[in-house]
Amino acid sequence: MEPQVHSNRAVEGVAFPSREWFERLARLMNENRALHEHLGFIDCVAQFTVLDGGLRGQPWSVQVTYEEFEAVDVREADDSARADFTAEATLATWREMLESIARGHGRPDLTQTLNYLSHTGTPLRVWSNDPLRKDLFFRYNQSLQEFVNASAAFRTTFPE
Amino acid sequence: MSTASRVESLQPLPAAGLNDEQVAGYEARFKEHANKWAEILQRNGDRMKKGEYSLHWMNTDGAAWGRRAKPSSRGLTYTDINNVPGYGTIPERATNLTFAPRGAVRDRYADEMPVVDDYTLVDRGESWADNVITLYEEAKARQWNATRDIPWSELERLPEDLEKATCQLCTFLTEVEFVAGDFPAKWLYKIPQDFLEVKSFIVTQMMDEARHQEVFRKRAIAGGGLLHASPGFEWALKAIYDSPTHTMGTFLLNLLGEGLVLSMFRSGEMIAKTHVDKEIFRRCLQDEARHVSYGVLELKNYLDNAPNRPAALEEMHRFADVGEQVILTSFTEAALVEPMAILLGGGLDKIDQGMEGQAHLWKMSVEEYLQRCERAGFDRRARCTIPLDSPWGQN
Repeated sequence: MEPQVHSNRAVEGVAFPSREWFERLARLMNENRALHEHLGFIDCVAQFTVLDGGLRGQPWSVQVTYEEFEAVDVREADDSARADFTAEATLATWREMLESIARGHGRPDLTQTLNYLSHTGTPLRVWSNDPLRKDLFFRYNQSLQEFVNASAAFRTTFPE
Repeated sequence: MSTASRVESLQPLPAAGLNDEQVAGYEARFKEHANKWAEILQRNGDRMKKGEYSLHWMNTDGAAWGRRAKPSSRGLTYTDINNVPGYGTIPERATNLTFAPRGAVRDRYADEMPVVDDYTLVDRGESWADNVITLYEEAKARQWNATRDIPWSELERLPEDLEKATCQLCTFLTEVEFVAGDFPAKWLYKIPQDFLEVKSFIVTQMMDEARHQEVFRKRAIAGGGLLHASPGFEWALKAIYDSPTHTMGTFLLNLLGEGLVLSMFRSGEMIAKTHVDKEIFRRCLQDEARHVSYGVLELKNYLDNAPNRPAALEEMHRFADVGEQVILTSFTEAALVEPMAILLGGGLDKIDQGMEGQAHLWKMSVEEYLQRCERAGFDRRARCTIPLDSPWGQN
């Protein structure tokens, strides 16, 4: 799969982590419907957690609901039971991955894909109380990868 | 040349190469049923000679006629048509062993239709899974093309040790994917019409496995070539293929084997040294995860519907006692473990570090296997025949 073509690279940065940042990704996904139709349905609720991304270094989580070829809902949440699976990592890990995606214009380095980072459970941990719901992370892996790859389309700012 | 003279000039077909015994058997079986067939043929011929029409098929008595299926946002799915009364009831036991579709007017013709003796998977508990419709629709939507969707032109030449390791891993996976297609094929034709959704899903699994053996064969040959067969693992593959029942084989192939292969594909994506290999493994792992999901809920369905659950559980435990050797066999097969370790470590000189990574993968694979068993209502923790930690330990 060719990396996504991003034409409207915003000059203004969007802060990570924030709901706005994930909403931007959701919008890009919905605008790139042809790509996601090619990849196929994605039906799940994914929780992305930044372990030290909240106030005073507390965890911060957002849940993205995917239906068919779109991200239909983005909400801040700490009710992980609603999510099919949670992908959690420190801000430093997320930052390194997103910077790699930005450098590669939508294609991360070999060591910065979602699967690479999560396969051994560290530095990105993907978990669920139900192994079948956790397997959705694998069933839709390419779509999820393209979802985060789209972050190359705009500038991300990180807390100092 | 006229039609008549052309026909007259035809020579008899050569007999050489035909199996007389098989043809004779086919003729005998045909004659057994010829009366009923001939009777219907005669009746139909007589009616046509009289210039009459039957039009019996326009009678909707006993049909679910007129309740039109409505598409959902993603098209007209099996779920959408199963919501129409008369079509979505999956029987506990299939009694109509003909080719006639579930929901058609067919029972009144039962005496006139042949019985397909090969339809032996007649209990819903032997093949159904509650997620099978979702998985079928998802499988169709997420198909990909190993010729077109992989950026083959970007394939980079690797150092020889890494290229050989990649090609050996691909040789191994080509071997594995072959049986992963053959096992469902062996059971496909035994599933009757009433479980058409299972049959449909199994066909997608066969297509997935065909694509996997295709993509790994292509990757190996594009990178240097196919390398060595895996004699030890051939026995594990044969054990899957020879499983005595569909559920046992599905447990071994989909839950245990594909669960393991899913871990291998995830490892493959992790240790891939090129973007091409990353793409291959990521695509394949998505397919594999569907097969695992079917395996988990098929086993659950089997156990939940077993007339004697304790006996069914014990039988499955006996089978798993043997089947778990598949995991042990794969993690001790040099033609798999060594190339994986070289790729994990980053080179032949770092194979020992790679083996440490393998030990971690062992632990993770066994734990995921046990979790999936538990999800199916099949607790293997107390009976698991393979060690939770890798047999070679962590150096």
